Amino acid sequence: MFYRIPKFNYYRASTLDEALDLVSSLNDFKVLAGGTDLVIDLKVRRYTVKNVVDISRIKELDYIADDGDRVRIGALTKLQSIADSPIIREKVPVLADAVREMASWQIRNIATIGGNLCNASPAADTAPPLYVLNATLRLVSKEGEREVPIAEFFLGPRKTALRSKELLKEIVIPHEPGCGASFLKLGRRNSFTLSVVAVATLVKVVENKFADVRIALNSVAPTPVRARKAEEYLKGKEVSLDNITEAAKLVLHDISPISDVRASAEYRKDMSVVLTRDSLIKSLERIGIKV
Amino acid sequence: MIRFIFGRRNYYPSSGEIMASMEDPYVLIDKWLRAKEFIVVGKGVARADALEKALGKAKYVEDYFQSGFLFIKQVLSTEPHAKIKGINVEEALRKPKVVKVITASDIPGENQVGYALPDQPLLAEGKVRFHGEVVALVVAEDIDAALEASEFVRINYEPLPHILDPLEALQRKDVLVHEEVGSNIAFRTRIRKGNVEEGFSKADVIVENEYRTHHQDHLYLEPEGALAIPGLDGRLTVITAAQYPHLAQSIIARVLGVPASDIKVIVPYMGGGFGGKDDEGPLTAAKAALAAYLTGQPSFILYTREESMRSHPKREATIIKYKSGASRDGKLTAIDVTIVHDTGAYANRGPFILWRATVHASGPYHIPHAKVDGYCVYTNKVYQGSFRGFGNPSVQFAAEAQMDELARKLGIDPVEFRLRNMLRPGLTTITNQLLDHSAGIADAVEQLAKVSGWYSKRREYGVSTGRFRRGIGIGVAWHGISTSRGVPDWSNAYIKIDKDGSVTAFTGIVEMGQGSPTSSHRQIVAEVLGAPIEKIKVTFGTSDAPDGGATHASRGTSIGAIGVLVAAAKIRERLNKLASELLNCSPDEVVIKEGKVYVRGDIERTITWEELIKHAYSRGVDLSATGYFFLPKGKFDDTVGQGQAYPAFSYVAMIAEVEVDTETGKVRVLKVWPALAAGRIINPQQVEGQIEGAAVQGMGYVLMEQLVFDDKGRLLNPDLTDYVVPTALDVPEIAKPVYVEDLFKYGPFGAKGVGEMALIPAPAAIANAVSHALGVRITKLPITPEAVYFEVKKHGLIK
Repeated sequence: MFYRIPKFNYYRASTLDEALDLVSSLNDFKVLAGGTDLVIDLKVRRYTVKNVVDISRIKELDYIADDGDRVRIGALTKLQSIADSPIIREKVPVLADAVREMASWQIRNIATIGGNLCNASPAADTAPPLYVLNATLRLVSKEGEREVPIAEFFLGPRKTALRSKELLKEIVIPHEPGCGASFLKLGRRNSFTLSVVAVATLVKVVENKFADVRIALNSVAPTPVRARKAEEYLKGKEVSLDNITEAAKLVLHDISPISDVRASAEYRKDMSVVLTRDSLIKSLERIGIKV
Repeated sequence: MIRFIFGRRNYYPSSGEIMASMEDPYVLIDKWLRAKEFIVVGKGVARADALEKALGKAKYVEDYFQSGFLFIKQVLSTEPHAKIKGINVEEALRKPKVVKVITASDIPGENQVGYALPDQPLLAEGKVRFHGEVVALVVAEDIDAALEASEFVRINYEPLPHILDPLEALQRKDVLVHEEVGSNIAFRTRIRKGNVEEGFSKADVIVENEYRTHHQDHLYLEPEGALAIPGLDGRLTVITAAQYPHLAQSIIARVLGVPASDIKVIVPYMGGGFGGKDDEGPLTAAKAALAAYLTGQPSFILYTREESMRSHPKREATIIKYKSGASRDGKLTAIDVTIVHDTGAYANRGPFILWRATVHASGPYHIPHAKVDGYCVYTNKVYQGSFRGFGNPSVQFAAEAQMDELARKLGIDPVEFRLRNMLRPGLTTITNQLLDHSAGIADAVEQLAKVSGWYSKRREYGVSTGRFRRGIGIGVAWHGISTSRGVPDWSNAYIKIDKDGSVTAFTGIVEMGQGSPTSSHRQIVAEVLGAPIEKIKVTFGTSDAPDGGATHASRGTSIGAIGVLVAAAKIRERLNKLASELLNCSPDEVVIKEGKVYVRGDIERTITWEELIKHAYSRGVDLSATGYFFLPKGKFDDTVGQGQAYPAFSYVAMIAEVEVDTETGKVRVLKVWPALAAGRIINPQQVEGQIEGAAVQGMGYVLMEQLVFDDKGRLLNPDLTDYVVPTALDVPEIAKPVYVEDLFKYGPFGAKGVGEMALIPAPAAIANAVSHALGVRITKLPITPEAVYFEVKKHGLIK
């Protein structure tokens, strides 16, 4: 219905410096990375802005780097590049799992990981794996750089910790060998669909006890969330189906889903428990443990 | 004579006794029905448009747009029910590049486009009846100007109380969607066969349930569009996506108040119709025509997806109360059915849809005592309309759930129970129509049970108490061919052969993906004339062809192709006669095949196809013909719903195997097995495509698709983000279909119709499989994961 995009000024940066100049000199702007969310949001008038800064052609932010103890992903890396990357598949396969299930091949070839994060949808599918991987986001402005842990980046629906003159530069993911991680998504069909609930979990097991557990969910709160209560419950406990099942129930303490056209709050709550349990079992399988 | 074997005959030759009998359509249809050997019929001949489409060269409505044409933007109602106190267009008209704003008062002809009842304006007049109704058209020099100005058309509404629930609408008299009707009941149907009290008294088991089914959007890839060009070809020419060019022509003529002969309609390739463009296509065309007529300039309209979803008619939502009884020996004794269709703001084709549901309410079974009541009820929602299956998938879902429940109570296998009651030649339907031929469903179901491994799977599944539970279910359905009751139906086409031997067939049947004109019509013409198939061109979708009816009701290759068969057969008779003179043999001995014309058994006496055509031109043989055929109809009494409902029925069955994840409620359809008793299969490759497409569309309807309305009747998910249809990754394995070719005496080569078939039993088959897996009866669609999960929870199926 609302297909007339209101007029705005369009700026295109070809380098990061140019982009930083633009965002520090402009007020009332939106950044266009891949545009797969932004263009629709402008059409339906979720946002009305004076200026759009197109950063999609900045080549220097499109990379996946393997530093041995960490993986760095440039903010403008396309989702499909992440799904296809041998580095991601080897070092942080849970991220590839999540990205492969996002959108369609066509959209994954335009959409960027930085765009998915900065758009700050409660349903962002790159968030749960990055949460359990303890990723940090490197934010940059003309004043310098700072790092923000991903769990502190999301402030609310469409709200992030980015300051007005800042851009997301890269995502830094520590490589933790020996961990098992998995991602499970429940949508309304098998592909090209928004999450009703998605869960990522990561486990580290020492002498049949949970040495570390991380659980993150999307679409069940104003932002993607960690399920801290459930994590704490499991830490130090023996690896058993009973313990996992008990822990999964505790995710309800950290989520606050709503009802919408995709699902009811009640269904989302129950599915959060089911998916958390299933994902924990799958993460254990990834490190060769069957429960 | 042969032609009298099948009874009624209402065609009277007017002159020339010998020629007339040679060209009597009954004789010709029967002659080709009896053919034993085929050149191209029954073969998977590649469709004529395959390459063009694969290369992206095929042109659709939008591809004919050129810059400089005016663009039309619709202004839709934001109220579910309100008086229009005034429409202020001044501000919109002052916007740059705006040429005109059209409202109801600008319509030069009649502002009346209801198909079944005269209850529907093209542009809202006096009041609006649903959120999304078209109130005005903004015409501007380009799309941006039209979009901008459309926001400045000020409509002054006086809101009226609105009503969304059909059962509530049925009762209430104080809130009326159409005051002039005096109630919210747009239409009623009824069937009274035998005596249901007596039938139920003979029943040993009785099952009574209420079923609910939901809306579905067609979601064709190509949304509605039309391009109207004044003066082209001496008329107002409209290029549009409509399933019946002649209907679009007559609606345009009515709205403009001009003769139909002043209007030409061309339907190029269409990106899907499914019934939606049978209803909305002519209205789209009329909007473009109206703008072109009032401005004198070429005008173009193209719906956005949101406009399409908010305003075009949907599959009916239903409430079906169903009581059935059966005796201990597994025989149905009676049914008592009440069908309520939520028709939304307008009747549209609702009465026809309700008739179809009513007449098919029994499923394809013999039942001695039947009572069916149907109500088509107005509400303030987007209205219902034609959609693949046309009222039948919902009622077959209910009927087939009843069959499973009766079988369970009787302790009889569901397939066995169905077979004991199945319609066969010699039995009567619930309208007391005697099936004299072409009823091959029992054979199809028996074969289907074998190929799917039904009996062992049915025993093996449905007993698991684990997380993942398998089930297998069957849906059997029937679908009347042609229009219901005594409503006239006919076919026609025009064929000419040019001097070089190339053949053109002109038909109003359209190409909307199904391929009738580009595959089966070509095959039929090639088969009958004996001309090489490369020489056959079918010009489709044009109102310049004789009116041969719509491309709907699975009729494109059945009733819709009788016209090309008869026209070709007339010319063939003349060519046989000519060839017999040239080759010195009798006309019966003439063989025309692969470009050669020769005497049967004597390959020496041969001329080429081209030579034969040259002779025809030089000797005065008419190589042009029309193929008019008026389908004989029986008597039908609407007051008791008894009589001949349809000339014949197509039959279809589907077995579905599913796995239910009881912890998430997710249903995976693992495999489906289809069976079809639809007469002659003209092109098996095309039929498989239709079956696969319909099965997937049916599965989407059952498992994921749903329209969500708010309390104002506003559609909350008119977009592809939240209206979810299956993707390639959701598609189950679909087995090779079982075919039973139960020939229909008036079908071209006995063909009955395929397009809608595989969708019709899909809801029943899948719902019955899920019910089997869980041991819980599913009575409500859609069976989304959430719906299944809460059923599981309610019945305590998991800890």
